[in-house]
Amino acid sequence: MLWPISKGLVLLLRTEIGLDSVYNIYYRAANNNLYKLARRNTAGIGGLDWVSFSLYLSLVGVGWLMIYTVGYGDGYTEQGLDFILRTSAGKQALMIGVSLIMFFLVTVVEWKFWRTVAFIIYGLTMAALLLVLLFGSTIKGATSWFHLPGGFSLQPSEFAKFGTALAMAAYLSSYAVDLNNWQSRLNAIGILLLPMGLIMLQPDAGSALIFVSFFLVMFREGMPVAPYIIGLSLFILFLSTMLLGINYTILWVLMLLTFFLVSNLRKVNLYYFLAFAVWLAAMIAALQNDFALYAFIASGVLLTGLCVYHWLNRNPRLGIATLSGALISVGVVLSVNYAFKNILKPHQQDRLNVWLNPQKCDPQGSLYNVLQSKLAIGSGGLNGKGFLQGTLTKLNFVPEQSTDFIFCTIGEEQGFLGSLAIILLYTFFIFRFTVLAERQRNDFSRMYIYGIAGILFVHFFINIGMTMGLVPIIGIPLPFISYGGSSLLAFTIMVAIVMKLDSHRYSI
Amino acid sequence: MSTANTNRQYIIRILFLVGAAILLAKTAQIQLVDNSYRDKAQTAAINKFVLYPSRGLVYDRNEVLMTYNQPIYELMATYKLIDPKMDTLAFCDILDINKEEFDKRLNKKWGRRYSKNVPFSFIRRLSAESYGRLQESLHEFPGFYVQKRNIRGYRDSIASHTLGYISEVNPSQIENNNIYSPGDYIGKDGLEAFYEEEIRGKKGLKYQLKDNVGRIVGDYKDGSLNQNAISGKDLKISIDTKLQKYGEQLMVNKLGSIVAIEPSSGEILTMISAPTYDPNKLSISRERGELFKKLLDDPLNPFFNRAVSAEYPPGSLFKPIVGLIAMQEKVWDFNRFVPCSGAYWNVDRFLGCHDHPSAYNMGKAIQYSCNSYFCETFKSIIDKEGYHNPNRGLDLFNSYLYEFGLGRTLDIDFQPEKGGNIPTTKYYDKIYRGRKWRSPTIVSVGIGQGEIQLTTLQMANLAAIIANRGSYYTPHLVKEYLNDDTPIDDKYTTPKKVSIDSIHFEKVIQGMAKVTVEGTANWSHITDIPICGKTGTAQNPHGKDHSIFFAFAPRENPQIAIAVYVENAGDGGAFAAPIASLMIEKYLKEQIRTANRQYMEDYILRSNLIPKTL
Repeated sequence: MLWPISKGLVLLLRTEIGLDSVYNIYYRAANNNLYKLARRNTAGIGGLDWVSFSLYLSLVGVGWLMIYTVGYGDGYTEQGLDFILRTSAGKQALMIGVSLIMFFLVTVVEWKFWRTVAFIIYGLTMAALLLVLLFGSTIKGATSWFHLPGGFSLQPSEFAKFGTALAMAAYLSSYAVDLNNWQSRLNAIGILLLPMGLIMLQPDAGSALIFVSFFLVMFREGMPVAPYIIGLSLFILFLSTMLLGINYTILWVLMLLTFFLVSNLRKVNLYYFLAFAVWLAAMIAALQNDFALYAFIASGVLLTGLCVYHWLNRNPRLGIATLSGALISVGVVLSVNYAFKNILKPHQQDRLNVWLNPQKCDPQGSLYNVLQSKLAIGSGGLNGKGFLQGTLTKLNFVPEQSTDFIFCTIGEEQGFLGSLAIILLYTFFIFRFTVLAERQRNDFSRMYIYGIAGILFVHFFINIGMTMGLVPIIGIPLPFISYGGSSLLAFTIMVAIVMKLDSHRYSI
Repeated sequence: MSTANTNRQYIIRILFLVGAAILLAKTAQIQLVDNSYRDKAQTAAINKFVLYPSRGLVYDRNEVLMTYNQPIYELMATYKLIDPKMDTLAFCDILDINKEEFDKRLNKKWGRRYSKNVPFSFIRRLSAESYGRLQESLHEFPGFYVQKRNIRGYRDSIASHTLGYISEVNPSQIENNNIYSPGDYIGKDGLEAFYEEEIRGKKGLKYQLKDNVGRIVGDYKDGSLNQNAISGKDLKISIDTKLQKYGEQLMVNKLGSIVAIEPSSGEILTMISAPTYDPNKLSISRERGELFKKLLDDPLNPFFNRAVSAEYPPGSLFKPIVGLIAMQEKVWDFNRFVPCSGAYWNVDRFLGCHDHPSAYNMGKAIQYSCNSYFCETFKSIIDKEGYHNPNRGLDLFNSYLYEFGLGRTLDIDFQPEKGGNIPTTKYYDKIYRGRKWRSPTIVSVGIGQGEIQLTTLQMANLAAIIANRGSYYTPHLVKEYLNDDTPIDDKYTTPKKVSIDSIHFEKVIQGMAKVTVEGTANWSHITDIPICGKTGTAQNPHGKDHSIFFAFAPRENPQIAIAVYVENAGDGGAFAAPIASLMIEKYLKEQIRTANRQYMEDYILRSNLIPKTL
């Protein structure tokens, strides 16, 4: 009696709505052999990648336990519905439930659907980013939240990542696009610059920074290497200027280029390198004795001489390239220094100093947060203080304990072993995504998965890194673990689509 | 499509792995390698409070309170926390100090003793008014806080040498004993020092969690690490407050000491050293330093405990002991007669005696304190093994003295205690350097002159031994712990015995009983209290002789044994014996009853025996 009805319902769903997976659920129950066959060809929910799915569940589970322990200090006296609606652990449990439902809803949606609607979703999230600027509420100076009835709130920038990942994959996988031409490159970069710009207007530089992760997909899909190397070089120059100061940065840049040119001379022998070593020692000595200007003039003259020599005798392009490289580097170093001192506002200077020159900062002032965070993590030792036993994370020493600084709770209560476990879980999870991506026969799937992997990696690295002072403090959550419904829901949808796409890796 | 770039997946994977490795390395550095985070985290979130125990109280033998705890308010300051822009004038106004004093108190010699980060005592003892005024505005002066502490109070301002005092621990004591921390109080003298371990109690600890703004939010680990402070043991000591107070009054304007012992138990009833000082003035206060210095510079040396630390020649007090040893060694008969022509002559020795009726037995010799008699008696002991073997005789004699607790400390429960001096054969061999010394050479020892020295405590103990007819308990001050079942050291409860038969004691006591009746101390006679005593007069090359007396009373079933030593007071019967008799009467009858005794009391109280030269 029930059977024909259910079969009819399934057929209806399948034909009318295109929910392929429900068909597979039906088959799994009805005919095991047939189900196996179906899985091999058009894997549905049964074809989920269980490795990454269990990693996902573990991260969510650990996250909930950590949110529970952060709130534990207040004493969980509420029962039932009050517990769910009044405490962060309760709310998070509710959101985990919602997210899991969402996960399964996503897996029953036809996989091709996402590619089809990629630009629509992108457009919707961009519209949300615009609307939030107009109608959102301002928390801690950033207009990035919509308040919903019932005490819940929504952060559109979390969903913008999802939209951008879809749009990026859809754009790069379309036939007309080729990263070998400038038009495509610029369009691709435009796709990520739009949400970045909108989020910068909130202003929320941290969330905007995440979109840089899409350069990873472009790299995988054939973006030339040069911009990456130039970017990396600029970053290194910036770091060096901040850490070593202008003088030493200019010195090592000039010396490196000199060495490069010397080793490219026609008849190179050991004496050239000995002479170079003596020269280097002399320059360092000059710098330490406050003869910086003379040292720079001397090395500048030498370098220019070598460039001219190369230009005239051997390899004109090498000479010119090196000389311009030297000039640009010196320019960058000087402008970084100028910008830091004259353009950046004091609080921005503070933030960079906390990251790069903590010894210059006031432990009770700008350094306070990261210091307390490091204290909390460091106090965990090897084994940690035990579940619910954390002290610094419970007593408001650490800011944003359940959201951005949730790693402190892990470090303090679970110790190094716990931190190791979390870092390894994430690494496996993200690494697994690269495996999933590479086994796709479909370009859109691969690009989308790389996009998500990049977002997850940037979140993971920046969030954990900032709690230990490795990275400047940027207010972004640790995916799946930090408290926050928007983030959990958005990441769940992103991951669910990854798995859905992967389960259809044999389909084209 | 972009199959050409598949190799780039490895670069991406390497990037991911390097990122993870960097995070892991940093985590390991913070959590495993660098321990400083853990230590700092402890101090950041956990407040450790020390709970101070209350120091044990001291009660006298009748459980009258002698030493108690008194709360004071101490103003503490932490240099680094003080606001340099604070309203110093208003602050000084509240505390009644001027700006210079403020600066002086604030700018310590930073170093081992004081640290800029550690609270130090800014004002040791705030007056009640200052404390009241300060309480209202203390929040305006960060870096300052008021700490309630207990100092010692002394009810009758008596027995200061015995009770001792407390003061702050010094750095070396802190280094030697990790129980103490800077600013703690420690017993510095007397019983406070000797029973420090028992009465200091045990500090408690309280670990509390504080949040980021320093509010206390609860106990760390639910209080499982907290320890309550354990109060110190209360002491019940053997001193009789009334007798001690009376004796101190009698000794006003005199130099010397009184020690009284209960013979049946060895408990010290009174221990007086004159001059004394007011212990209450030495308790922690603003003026303490100056007072302390004043007392230290006093030529009369009030800190010197003459009862146990001064070593005096016993004079004629020693004679009964010589007699006892001689009779026990059977070299002397009680009824032996020694003629006295007012002096003792032997070979090249001349020792004067005074005018007295014939001493036809030892009893009379004690009664009249005949020097000639006891020179002979002493000589007979030294010559027991022959005139040419005085060393054997002296060794024999000294072996008895050691039994009497002379020549070494009695090991009472008090510090500092001196042991006196008994000349030994080794000593004489050394000073005569191989030349012969014989009994006549050292005969002055027999009458308590020369090298022999005793403390007043030892003299009182001799009286107790005679009162007990040969046995005694080691004198001690502490009877029991009031709030604790621990018994006192059993060396104070095991009797000791000297190897002299009690029959000989009876004979000597027969003589001592006559001393106050018709002997050298006949002014001190009390009709209804048979006092057995012996006077002594120690020659003093610097001035008047020292007056000495020891006695016990009553003759049968003695209740009190006492020794009195008054410096520069003349012969033993002049001051020491009257003082002893007054003490005995006071102790046994609670008051001085007859008119002539009251006249004597008044005379003693009025007398000023402190040499004008001092």
